[in-house]
Amino acid sequence: MTTAPTSAPLKFTGSKYLAQRLTLATLTGRAVRISQIRPGNHANPGLAPHEVSFLRLLDAITNGSQIEFSYTGTTVLYKPGLITGSAAGYGAEGGVLQHDLPAECERGVSYFLLPLCLLAPFSKVPVNVRFTGPGVITSSTEIGDVSVDTVRTAILPLFRSFGIERNIELRVLQRSNTGKDGRGGGGEVQLIFGHQVRLPKTLHMLNAGRVKRVRGVAYSTGVAGANNARLIETARGLLNQFVPDTYIFSDVSAAPLIAAPERNNPAAKKKTGLGFGLSLVAETSSGAFYSADIASPPSGGEAPEELGRKCALQLLEAIEQGGCASAVAAPTMLSLMAMGSEDVGRITLGRDVVGSEGVVQLARDLRAFGMSGWGLREGDEEEEIVVSIVGRGVGNVGRKIV
Amino acid sequence: MAVSLGKRKRPEPKKVVAKKTAKAEKSESDSDDDIRARFQRAFEARFKPLETPKVPVRQDASGDESDEAEVQADSDWSGISDEEDAVEVVEHGPGIELDREEQKREMKAFMSSKPPSSKESISNIFKAKSKPTEDEAGESDNLKHDLALQRLLKESHLLDPTTFGTAQSTNEPSGKSRLKALNLRLEDLGAKKGIMDQAKMPLSHLRGIKAKAISRESKRRKEAAENGIILERAKGTMKGKPERKRERGVDGPGVGKFRGGTLSLSKKDVRAIEGPKKSGFGKGKRR
Repeated sequence: MTTAPTSAPLKFTGSKYLAQRLTLATLTGRAVRISQIRPGNHANPGLAPHEVSFLRLLDAITNGSQIEFSYTGTTVLYKPGLITGSAAGYGAEGGVLQHDLPAECERGVSYFLLPLCLLAPFSKVPVNVRFTGPGVITSSTEIGDVSVDTVRTAILPLFRSFGIERNIELRVLQRSNTGKDGRGGGGEVQLIFGHQVRLPKTLHMLNAGRVKRVRGVAYSTGVAGANNARLIETARGLLNQFVPDTYIFSDVSAAPLIAAPERNNPAAKKKTGLGFGLSLVAETSSGAFYSADIASPPSGGEAPEELGRKCALQLLEAIEQGGCASAVAAPTMLSLMAMGSEDVGRITLGRDVVGSEGVVQLARDLRAFGMSGWGLREGDEEEEIVVSIVGRGVGNVGRKIV
Repeated sequence: MAVSLGKRKRPEPKKVVAKKTAKAEKSESDSDDDIRARFQRAFEARFKPLETPKVPVRQDASGDESDEAEVQADSDWSGISDEEDAVEVVEHGPGIELDREEQKREMKAFMSSKPPSSKESISNIFKAKSKPTEDEAGESDNLKHDLALQRLLKESHLLDPTTFGTAQSTNEPSGKSRLKALNLRLEDLGAKKGIMDQAKMPLSHLRGIKAKAISRESKRRKEAAENGIILERAKGTMKGKPERKRERGVDGPGVGKFRGGTLSLSKKDVRAIEGPKKSGFGKGKRR
């Protein structure tokens, strides 16, 4: 078997966008060296627990990846392998790959889910990963991760427009908010992504349409269900004026228990991840989604009414920005478009969404990975920009060979 | 130009024509009415006269119509146009209120582990499932009766005169005849095996049943022969017929049994292969 000529790894610096770069590296098959990861932080230099966990996840769903850390963890070299998914014999038990997150994890589980969803269509076999352990936070976090409900109701439906729609499930087996001092939870989430494609379809989304309905999930774990009712009341009070078809569902669950061994009671457990939150999704007539998320802070002290109001306003802001993808969904959609066939795909985005730091950085990173540049032009409506992306036809390497 | 109130109402066709001829000036709506009237006349000449919807209030109003029209002909009020008649209703309701059942459905659809599909809205499904109108109800009733009649005709031979009176009330056969009828219907639909056939039975029972059937048949024949009645020709009994060869597998041997790596031939097979034995005489005959 001949090996492709190894090119020098791409060099990046900084801890920001680490997951995004690693994902793109896996998709394109380019090696990356990321250096200067938190060099100034003397207490905790190098990779954070969630980043290490993400690298472990990449290692688990790929075959032949090489990961090298420097001594302090401030530099990491990643040579990606083939995306195999939850293939038997590569750590998956009964077709399910279990991924434990450590208790020090500060990010919500969507930090892992979003890149995994991006990788899953290009894997060789279906991806079936269960996130467990004392670090799974299913709610949204203050850092900016969205909740699993938003991932399921606002991100996963977007894959449909790329021709990826079958056997996709996101099961929330146990909910959990952020634990004490903003880290750790006790949730359990299973992602089943059973639709693998050679290349995603070329996307043309130029008309965002008008919002036709608003749905949402209010969740409270380990606290009174009345919090849900209060969240829903205020959020609906604000949204009903604009969209009469507004409905928010309530999900009340018990607090997760995680092991907390003591000296005289090694089997002791404690409750964690108490709190409540709200996830709102607005759907337009042409199938675009806008979402908003909020959760009670781990320190507490915020009334549900206030949070419900904030969440509704956040949703209205996302709708105001316009375009066919909100700031939350834009990176996923744009990456999928870049991975598509060698054809021009077009999408209308809000001016603020295109100008956001994340999207600009994504464009630069894609460029660095050898993808084509984007074409921007004014949209039909004000405050809207049409982004044209030529795919590189990279697609699914595993499917190409087998 | 003053359009009188009365113009909006549907006048009798003759009246309209008379008015039209009298009036030199015709508005657009007038000409429209005229064409309509002509069409109606043409239609009525060929077919039955049309029923004009008669609203009593309008007829009452038509009496004062001419006076009113005269009064308003001078004023510059041009009357109420038809478009203005339609009342546009704008409701600012509290939103779509779903009842408990719908809530549950919607909840199941949205809160399942799958990404919610945007294609069918639950409220749309409920809209589609409206109550059947009277016509539809009558139609479905007719269909039901039709089916019942068809079945009755088909299964009438099953009807037992003793149970006829009791079964009449429900129109459906009962007891054993119900099973028979069911069997018939299934056969109509293409069932291979009847529901009355017993799938499994001890061999002794089966033998007994067969023996009984044979004895009954032979008894019947005997009695018929004694009385001089000619019966249908007896079907060939099983024993007389030569057994047909069983279908063999494609890869099996054409002859004998292949077992444990050896092809074993019975005496019968050997005889069949060798062919009829030639006797000494036969040999002598050959030249």
